[in-house]
Amino acid sequence: MDEEEVGEDFNNPRLRELGVDRATMPTAVEARELSRRFGDLTAVDHVSFEVGEGEIFGFLGPNGAGKTTTINMLITLLKPNDGTARVAGYDVVREPDQVRKRIGVVFQDPSSDRELTGYENLWIHGMIYGVPRSELAARIRKLLEFVELWDWRNVLMKRYSGGMIRRLEIARGLLHDPSILFMDEPTIGLDPQTRTKLWEYTIDVRRERGTTIFLTTHYMEEAERLCDRVAIIDHGRILALDKPSNLVKSMGGDVIYVKLLNGSSELLVSKLMERGVLLDHRPAGSTLMLRVFDAPTVMPIIFDIANFLGIKISEVSYRRPTLEDVFLYYTGRSLRDSEADWRETARVRARRGMRR
Amino acid sequence: MTLWSGTLMVMVYRQLKRFIRARSRVVGSIVNPLIWLGLFGIGWSSFFRGRLLPGLPNGASYLGFLAPGVVIMSTFIGGFIAGITVIWDKEFGFLKELLVAPASRAAGIVGRAIGDALSATLQGAIVLVGAIFLVSGLNPLGAPLALLAAFLTSLVFTGLGILVALKISSMEGFHLLVSLIMMPVMFLSDIFYPLGPLPSWMKAIAMMNPLTYAVDLARAGLAGAGEISPEISLVALIMISIVLLAADAKVFEKTTIS
Ligand SMILES: Nc1ncnc2c1ncn2[C@@H]1O[C@H](COP(=O)(O)OP(=O)(O)OP(=O)(O)O)[C@@H](O)[C@H]1O
Ligand SMILES: [Mg+2]
Repeated sequence: MDEEEVGEDFNNPRLRELGVDRATMPTAVEARELSRRFGDLTAVDHVSFEVGEGEIFGFLGPNGAGKTTTINMLITLLKPNDGTARVAGYDVVREPDQVRKRIGVVFQDPSSDRELTGYENLWIHGMIYGVPRSELAARIRKLLEFVELWDWRNVLMKRYSGGMIRRLEIARGLLHDPSILFMDEPTIGLDPQTRTKLWEYTIDVRRERGTTIFLTTHYMEEAERLCDRVAIIDHGRILALDKPSNLVKSMGGDVIYVKLLNGSSELLVSKLMERGVLLDHRPAGSTLMLRVFDAPTVMPIIFDIANFLGIKISEVSYRRPTLEDVFLYYTGRSLRDSEADWRETARVRARRGMRR
Repeated sequence: MTLWSGTLMVMVYRQLKRFIRARSRVVGSIVNPLIWLGLFGIGWSSFFRGRLLPGLPNGASYLGFLAPGVVIMSTFIGGFIAGITVIWDKEFGFLKELLVAPASRAAGIVGRAIGDALSATLQGAIVLVGAIFLVSGLNPLGAPLALLAAFLTSLVFTGLGILVALKISSMEGFHLLVSLIMMPVMFLSDIFYPLGPLPSWMKAIAMMNPLTYAVDLARAGLAGAGEISPEISLVALIMISIVLLAADAKVFEKTTIS
């Protein structure tokens, strides 16, 4: 898929390609008021959503938003405190075994046996999922070829790179032919090339098998390129849910970012409101996010008012909204914050991997 | 083949594979007991030479007494450590893979225990062969009974190790636990000395230690010098291993990721 297509038509092209509309799709995942607390902290706060069969659905949220906790409840590893969820038509609390048979999972952290080869890991998986012995070898081969790891099948997984582990775990998640594949931050910490490769696999999986895919990410580009619909989640709540293109469209006009050297941003905002040029505004870290109809006409007004109030502006920029701006608008967190976050996460992870 | 037996077997396979791959650990686990036997054993038996040893049959050498104990000791250490490595599976995520699968969790964890027990027994078998060659006066015909004792030992302590690992929440506890449990368990048994001359409190504790029965069973086979009747030892060991494996299965059934 290329950017242009999104630009011309706000309906997701891949959904059109499949000839389906969300409204007519049977439901693969259904969460109703799903909640989970850890002590005083509400990690997931009455979240409701539906994922249609064959859909690629994304949870987009910063660190600690509650993405993994939601997935853990959906894949029967964690009991909700409140609410219900059905996966593949079965209740995750009352019929966990039925759910488990029908889902594949790629966990956020590696979950393979590093002391075994890739092939052995898949073989074990096939056995504990009851894949018929007569088919197992053929299926393993097909999937290893699909993720381009057939030549590495007899190498111990501790020699695999991060990207190879991910690919193997995707193959593993598909081995028992699940109807829904859950992927928790599938491309975290991977280089851009590997990331693009994984996106291709994901799209191929849906095309070839019709697998429903539920993924979490905090990469805008990943959500935009891959997902039919995206839920923006923070502090355990879904703040917005729609096709990426619709989310962008919902921002209307332009966004302007203003960074003040001194003076009160509230004052600036209230004056702009009086002039009736603001659609909305948000603090975004140390910067002020302003939504306006048309940036070029508003920019001079901003400078005028700032000048009048004696406020010094150190930085200003504007652009057509992207998903990143939508994200910032809803979460108040800039991408730079969350990138620093994931670097931290990646570092922690690297340390974990070495501690053996 | 059902999902149940498939899961059990594949977990046995996994543990054996991992054991065979970890060469340095295997070598260490065999060399270590042979050092006990070769140095510690020879040291004390030189000291004891020509003396009557209380609690040992007349004319028995200390080395001959110690050898069956060391065989069981090596399977005890191997089995317990293998069981404890469930902590690694927690830490490195493999446990999640098992938890999210439709397979029976009981089959998974019991399979793992059996695989670990077989690995530890293999280790004990190698030590046993070494001991028979190095120590004069051991009865090779007693080897099967010693091996059975070794297998039951490893089943019991793998089961215990798994239980402990499932219960403790972090890696931090690991080293503390290993040193806190392993040494006393060994010294509160009849590995190094007969129970007869021990103070009564120590003897009472030793009689509650499964290791005592296993060592005694192996000693009955190899040195013809058990203090407890082999039937009692066998029944005790089998029952304890069943109880521990059942407890493992039960705890693992209820495990969720925290
Ligand atoms: N077992 C737990 N005990 C206590 N708090 C927890 C536990 N698991 C998660 N949390 C907390 O719940 C919140 C949501 O965590 P969660 O892992 O779901 O976030 P996430 O969106 O997956 O973030 P990340 O990008 O870091 O993976 C966080 O504040 C986290 O610290
Ligand atoms: Mg997470």
